[in-house]
Amino acid sequence: MAALDSLTSDSIEEILESWNCFCFSTDALLNGNVEVAVGDKFVSCVHFLCSHHLRSLVEDQFFQSLEVTFETRGASRFWHHFDAYVDGSLLTNEESGLEEVLYKALEELSLVKQCQERTLLMLVHSLQSCRNSMLDKKYSADAERVYLLSKYQLMVSSVLMASLPRQFPAILNQYFKRRLEELSTLMDGSCQEELHDKENMDLDEKRKSFSGVGEMDIDEHYDRKKLSENSLLVKNIGKVVQDLRSLGFTSMTEDAYASAIFLLLKDKVQDLAGDDYRSSVLDSIKVWIQAVPFHFLHALLTYLGDSVCPDSPSSGLKSPLASHPSSFYPGVDTPSEGLIRWKLRLEYFAYETLQDLRIAKLFDIIVDYPDSSPAIEDLKQCLDYTGQHSKLVDSFISALKYRLLTAGASTNDILHQYVSTIKALKTIDPAGIFLEAVGEPIRDYLRGRKDTIKCIVTLLTDGSGGNASSGAAGDSLLEELNRDEENQENINLDDDFNVDDKQSWLNAQRWEPDPVEADPLKGSRNRRKVDVLGMVVGIIGSKDQLVNEYRVMLAEKLLNKSDYDIDSEIRTLELLKIHFGESSMQKCEIMLNDLIDSKRTNNNIKKTIPKPSLAEGEVEKSEFSLDALAATIISSNFWPPIQDEPVNLPGSVDELLSDYAKRFHEIKTPRKLLWKKNLGVVKLELQFEEKAVQFSVSPILASIIMQFQDQTRWTAEDLAAAVGVPVDILNRRINFWISKGILSESLGEDTNYHIFSLMEGADSNRTGIHGGSNDEHLMGDEDGDRSLASVEDQLHKEMTVYEKFILGMLTNFGSMALDRIHNTLKMFCVADPQYDKSLQQLQSFLAGLVSEEKLELREGMYVLKK
Amino acid sequence: MSTINGSYSDNTPSTTPAGLPAKQNVAPVKAVDTQSVLKRLQSELMSLMMSGDPGISAFPEEDNIFNWKGTIHGSNETVFEGTEYKLALSFPADYPFKPPKVKFETGCFHPNVDVFGNICLDILQDKWSSAYDVRTILLSIQSLLGEPNTSSPLNTQAAALWSNQEEYRKMVEKHYKPSTA
Repeated sequence: MAALDSLTSDSIEEILESWNCFCFSTDALLNGNVEVAVGDKFVSCVHFLCSHHLRSLVEDQFFQSLEVTFETRGASRFWHHFDAYVDGSLLTNEESGLEEVLYKALEELSLVKQCQERTLLMLVHSLQSCRNSMLDKKYSADAERVYLLSKYQLMVSSVLMASLPRQFPAILNQYFKRRLEELSTLMDGSCQEELHDKENMDLDEKRKSFSGVGEMDIDEHYDRKKLSENSLLVKNIGKVVQDLRSLGFTSMTEDAYASAIFLLLKDKVQDLAGDDYRSSVLDSIKVWIQAVPFHFLHALLTYLGDSVCPDSPSSGLKSPLASHPSSFYPGVDTPSEGLIRWKLRLEYFAYETLQDLRIAKLFDIIVDYPDSSPAIEDLKQCLDYTGQHSKLVDSFISALKYRLLTAGASTNDILHQYVSTIKALKTIDPAGIFLEAVGEPIRDYLRGRKDTIKCIVTLLTDGSGGNASSGAAGDSLLEELNRDEENQENINLDDDFNVDDKQSWLNAQRWEPDPVEADPLKGSRNRRKVDVLGMVVGIIGSKDQLVNEYRVMLAEKLLNKSDYDIDSEIRTLELLKIHFGESSMQKCEIMLNDLIDSKRTNNNIKKTIPKPSLAEGEVEKSEFSLDALAATIISSNFWPPIQDEPVNLPGSVDELLSDYAKRFHEIKTPRKLLWKKNLGVVKLELQFEEKAVQFSVSPILASIIMQFQDQTRWTAEDLAAAVGVPVDILNRRINFWISKGILSESLGEDTNYHIFSLMEGADSNRTGIHGGSNDEHLMGDEDGDRSLASVEDQLHKEMTVYEKFILGMLTNFGSMALDRIHNTLKMFCVADPQYDKSLQQLQSFLAGLVSEEKLELREGMYVLKK
Repeated sequence: MSTINGSYSDNTPSTTPAGLPAKQNVAPVKAVDTQSVLKRLQSELMSLMMSGDPGISAFPEEDNIFNWKGTIHGSNETVFEGTEYKLALSFPADYPFKPPKVKFETGCFHPNVDVFGNICLDILQDKWSSAYDVRTILLSIQSLLGEPNTSSPLNTQAAALWSNQEEYRKMVEKHYKPSTA
């Protein structure tokens, strides 16, 4: 107030004048006028105004004009450069323009900014000098300057931010992406070179390990060389980053290059990983991270003075690679903590990307499992790092449901995939926790399929032969049997109570807790061994069913053998015995023994034949001597039930059989042979006028074709009577010969009569009996053409027994609840097909009977349907 | 065969005490007999179930294989056509050397059946042989319905009426009370 009071009108005028002068000179200065006179005027005005205590006014006015000029001259022009990129498509299309535009814009803006900063400094100086002259010591000069400068900074960034066009972050992003790509291609070249160098260096090191100094030289030289190669590029980027930072875009810039790096990394990972699962990519990804983005960051951070991460990173964070610090950080001795943080981020991101990529393709990876094991190994490492196992389980289960567990997939394929899954996941997760979760849907689904057991048995036993498609899986399962044999010994060792202390100590050391992801409800079995065979057998539920099915298949195989060569069967059986125990395979063993005995007996019988006895019989059939006959003598109690189909064999064959039986009786006196005429194989040769064709067929087929020897036309009825089978069976069987073009079928005068006639030789040529068709598949190809009761039939038979029991008890007790039926069956159905079903199985069976209208369910009680 | 034997020996201990509380203090020799009786009854049950003869059926009660319930349908073209009679069969411990006790549980108007359901049939008394089994017993009783032995009747009224088949049919219907399950 006192100051105002002391002002005279003169001085007011003076002040006003100098104020106007100040405003004018400020504008002039800010507009780039660098004449000394203007500066002097400015300084003197400031002095004058300050001396009149108008200091704050001066400052405010200055900043106001500063802001206005910056807005008009700096910001709006700066943004104007990017107007062209409002359209996003231009951003990606434009090839090279972007960088230049950005450079130019930044340069211009920083020019403006420099000019303004100079003016600001001028103001600061004049203010200071004025203060000095007034001996005002309240403010320290430095604080004053810093305060004003930061105020200016704030002003600049707020102006820019306020007018920020939307596309700018995208522009930055694009810029960094391009730069990085450029760098990446540059580095890729040098990276390979570097690896090469590295190898050389290793060699050098080995060769002359004493020359430590020389090596260091090489190192430095090589680093420098590499740095110089891309230093220009990095410097450019660094300058841009610095410029942007000085404009207050620190975080936006960081975001931009971080996302660009991640994007590049993702592309790189996808590029490297691709759809090729036969090689491990993790290492090359790591090398790439080291070489490109990490190197870039390192260069950038050193250029910027390494102040990106202001927070002090927690020392607990350790990169896996940081644990051995000797691993190369090009050009730096000790990596800064900011760098390590970056490294961790990059690696985690790489692992996660690769893991996601692999998980999404896990189904395909497992399809070609043995080849794709490197990919599995990668995935395991990724998961160890990221710990996202549940992601794997979820995604894989849904892939399974969508792609495998559908009606279109064959049981064999599903089983194959199941086995591969087990093996693959065993690598990822040795404790089998995830396997449990993943395997469950497959097992459930397979249990619903009828042919599962059969397929499993085929896989188990068909190692050597079999067709190409199932051959691979079969091999692997048989292999598994083999391996199991080896393991068995180890297990015995483990179970042994006398394991020495050392062994138990080793075991204790090997103990690992279940992974945290383990479902505590399911994972009670600690450290269970993942046993492929056990898991496959587990689908069926009980080994008895499997053994039964195997017995049927074995029987069929053995019966169709014409030689007594059972070496492979014996081997398989021995392996199965190890796995399932001696007792359950006993019957199968007896079956094999039957074959061995048969061979011996057969030889003995052959020895009793006087050689020249083949004169008897018709000329045509003279080759039917006992030599042509090989009998398989079976102990039928131990074989699966054999379906008896009566068949009339031609008389000469019948004679032969009874002769054989007689001789057998002579050798093994109390025993007699009982022929199962419908079983076995007949090798026969059909002679036509100009050629002969050989076949291996079942006796019934042989018998049919033999009838045409004497008579070339048969009606179905007559033929059936002659062969001794029902007409419908004849019609089914005879299709074989029709399909071979040997017989033809025609309708007689009465449409009910089917007439079969032998094709003439010429015709047979035309319809194509190929010379190579002599290796016919044996019977069993078609359904219902089996001579043995299948397991399914046996099951059906069992259920029929139960049905009779159930009907019997309901007849006598009227109505019964499910529980009571179950208990009664358990109590009384104990003989041959022993009742071993669960309550649920019984319930579904009863439901079947209800739907067949044999039973009724009334208020929870089953009653007979009247 | 070994498996079958195995299942029997498994089963016996659970069945015997439950079914025959009185027999628990019998001598070991006797116990072996009990086992063979069980075996015999089980195989009879199996063959009865599998034979599928129409009109006859029987099944052991839930907890005791020595007591069976039987069902007989009157044969067609007899006065008993369309009827269904419930029987109770009780096997002695020394079966099959002694015949089982068989009674009608449904009232049956028949010359050889008394009001308590007792049956007078030679093979169930002095003509019994161990070659008979449940199935033959039931078949015999079924044929007895159509061909009564009127010379030694338990129900004299029925025996007297037998000659008049129409009247007899009426009496059968009058006495017949179908079991309500």
